Amino acid sequence: MMWTLIPVLAWLAATALAPQSTAAPVTFNRQIAPLIYQACSSCHRPGEAAPFPLLNYEDVRKHAAQIVAVTRSRYMPPWLPEPGYGDFAGERRLTDAQLQLFADWLRDGCQEGNPTDLPPAPRYTPGWQLGPPDLVVQIPKPYRLVASGTDVFRNFIVPVDVQETKYVRAIEMRPGNKRIVHHANILIDRRRTLRSRDGEDGQPGFPGILTTTEARSDIFDPDSHFLFWKPGSILEPEPQDMAWRLDPGSDLVLNMHLRPSGKEEVVQPDVGFYFTTRPPTRHPMLLQLEHDGAIDIKPGAVDFAVEDHLKLPLGVSVLAIYPHAHYLGKQMEAWATLPDGTRRWLIKIPDWDINWQAVYDYRAPVSLPKGTDISMRITYDNSDSNPRNPNHPPKHVRSGPRSEDEMGHVWLQVLPAKETEEDPRVILQEAAMRRRLEKYPDDFVAHCNLGQLLVTRKQYSEALAYFHIALRQNPESVTARTGLGAAYLAEGRYDDALRELKEALRHDPDHVNARLNLARALGEKGDLDGAVRELERVLKIRPDNTEAHIGLGLGYFSLHRYAEALPHFQEAARRRPEDADIQTNLGLLLAMHGDLAGAIQAFQAALKVNPQDKTARGYLERAQAMAGQH
Amino acid sequence: MGFIRAGSFKSYQEAGALSMFTFLAFMMLWQSNLLSPHGEKALVLLFIRSDCPVSNRYAPDLQRAYERYSMKGVDFRLIYPEAGLSTTAMEEHRKEYGYSIPAVLDADHHYVKEAGVRMTPEVAVFVRGRLVYRGRIDDRYVAIGKERPSPLHHDLEEVLAAVAAGKPLSFRETAAVGCVIEKLE
Repeated sequence: MMWTLIPVLAWLAATALAPQSTAAPVTFNRQIAPLIYQACSSCHRPGEAAPFPLLNYEDVRKHAAQIVAVTRSRYMPPWLPEPGYGDFAGERRLTDAQLQLFADWLRDGCQEGNPTDLPPAPRYTPGWQLGPPDLVVQIPKPYRLVASGTDVFRNFIVPVDVQETKYVRAIEMRPGNKRIVHHANILIDRRRTLRSRDGEDGQPGFPGILTTTEARSDIFDPDSHFLFWKPGSILEPEPQDMAWRLDPGSDLVLNMHLRPSGKEEVVQPDVGFYFTTRPPTRHPMLLQLEHDGAIDIKPGAVDFAVEDHLKLPLGVSVLAIYPHAHYLGKQMEAWATLPDGTRRWLIKIPDWDINWQAVYDYRAPVSLPKGTDISMRITYDNSDSNPRNPNHPPKHVRSGPRSEDEMGHVWLQVLPAKETEEDPRVILQEAAMRRRLEKYPDDFVAHCNLGQLLVTRKQYSEALAYFHIALRQNPESVTARTGLGAAYLAEGRYDDALRELKEALRHDPDHVNARLNLARALGEKGDLDGAVRELERVLKIRPDNTEAHIGLGLGYFSLHRYAEALPHFQEAARRRPEDADIQTNLGLLLAMHGDLAGAIQAFQAALKVNPQDKTARGYLERAQAMAGQH
Repeated sequence: MGFIRAGSFKSYQEAGALSMFTFLAFMMLWQSNLLSPHGEKALVLLFIRSDCPVSNRYAPDLQRAYERYSMKGVDFRLIYPEAGLSTTAMEEHRKEYGYSIPAVLDADHHYVKEAGVRMTPEVAVFVRGRLVYRGRIDDRYVAIGKERPSPLHHDLEEVLAAVAAGKPLSFRETAAVGCVIEKLE
């Protein structure tokens, strides 16, 4: 008798717990499919990063309990930002009510429902998302990832062979093996400084987490676009007027986060470039909030904080944000304090997870007026209660590129407002460099950069002062001495410029920038032969140097050596098709050589870049008139 | 091999429905090596799922444990509790991840019920028919998506070392983290 009682009790318990609902059961076709299509399928489909497809009823039913578990814990879909602290495009967060639908569906027995309720399945483009790219590059040798162990952060060098400056409207990375590539950050190494580390441990690439290629020395051509890949990313081309420049002689650096899968895997990503002929007319800029120098986290610390801020010298529109820390990072916040004291949140991530780091694009640009203070605060947990802590027992941690070091960065992509004739990027960079010197008073690179920026802003005496400080810190520095020489040159102190530039070249005869400036200084002094001689030496060191070609074209032209000027202008025009002055000069030279058709073409090219160019228009009309007479 | 006797497992759960005499008889059979006719000290059931990234990441660890302890009298079985998985697909997965452990397709969740597991990966260790351990392989995963760079406790390894050394074990259970084993329809 006893045995028969148990099922009855169980039945009673089950009926008592069942929800008293008369509503129609949740079905796949009506409620679940739209959620899956919107939040899951872009990664959960064949060839993508997720471990199994979620494209139809059968796929989803087979994983129903798992879906309920991982959505309830908000592990899936992965979305770190707290709602209400920044409005981001492509938000993948599900609402509590949506999570409940999954749970109810499982409870109701995973019914498929009425076929007429099923929305159309999403369509995905196979292969390259924007069609065949204009250029495809690949890491030269495949990388073999071990079957198990901790995650691997690796930088792969990919040489890009373009013969002339290109404008990039989109770049697509295809990891080749999406299951193990957790994310990738693509950097442009314009000076190929990192390739010396390639293969240092016998495998392609080198280890570490990189977010920049060098200490912000390319200040006049700042990296200005986030080239970030994560699984399921939808590839969006840059706006038409915001392409970015790719120069000959650059390397791509793919900083990749790889996760061992349980079997040995091979990775050999390729990257496709889509070019445009339109040079950018809007120039965004990346602003970095950081204070890595203050990262000094004692073992056991549970709430170590790093802060930074920057006061904006002009108005900006914030387009995107990229917060970054490693395994100890806990909470990340970035906000703007407007001049009237109100606070606007830029982002808040309550539980940082490096595995799901991402660039977040704002749904609409966030306008911040001049005088706004942008701030970040990142906290770290270096105790044993942080399971992600790379060290057990915890160790003293400082900043660094290894995954067991820490970082604390918030990068903002901004479009600065043009308030004067000056390039607003220069003004913004100056503010960033001055802030950098507040944080790091002995920073050599910041002194050099600030010197260079102030030369651009024609504030020569202050610029000279920064270069002198830099040279006191590092008397042998050719970069600082060249900067000093260039500052004298810009100010019109040619003898001082010649002295410093010659001294710089004594230390490093192959320093291209020093020699270009020496040529300019000689030209200013009226020594055209000397200038031409120096530029020819530059071309011996760097045959593809566009500046040298332009200088030689002008130099030989002024020396009336037209036949020698022509090939340099042709080369310069090929490399800088968007430079109207070069085209106009080329046209003049061609006309002088009797090539009227070529001249007309060059003048037309100049007018295409700048239709208001009166000089080019005048020459074009004359050339056309002359061609008509013949 | 192929000695796993479904009947002997089943009796454990259904004992309540049998007479006390039959139950005791089963218990005695159990104690007398019914599960280990070849003299194995223990049987380890490794529940994995072909498309579970967590259990896949453990493949090298499980294979290492097999290579180490099958020499010491421990028997291993990979159990795939996947309804709808074909034997061919199972064998392909086993090969792909470098397993040489014999595998069983548990489409009707027979072994799932016997071992009382809920996740993949989850392990169940039987010594002479008695369940002595059920749960995680190690504590690398704290929750799904939250993992240590390397485990602090190697639970399965500790149990196997004790078994190999012939130490007496009382039942221990830990919470496994991974992919929920889906209910059958």
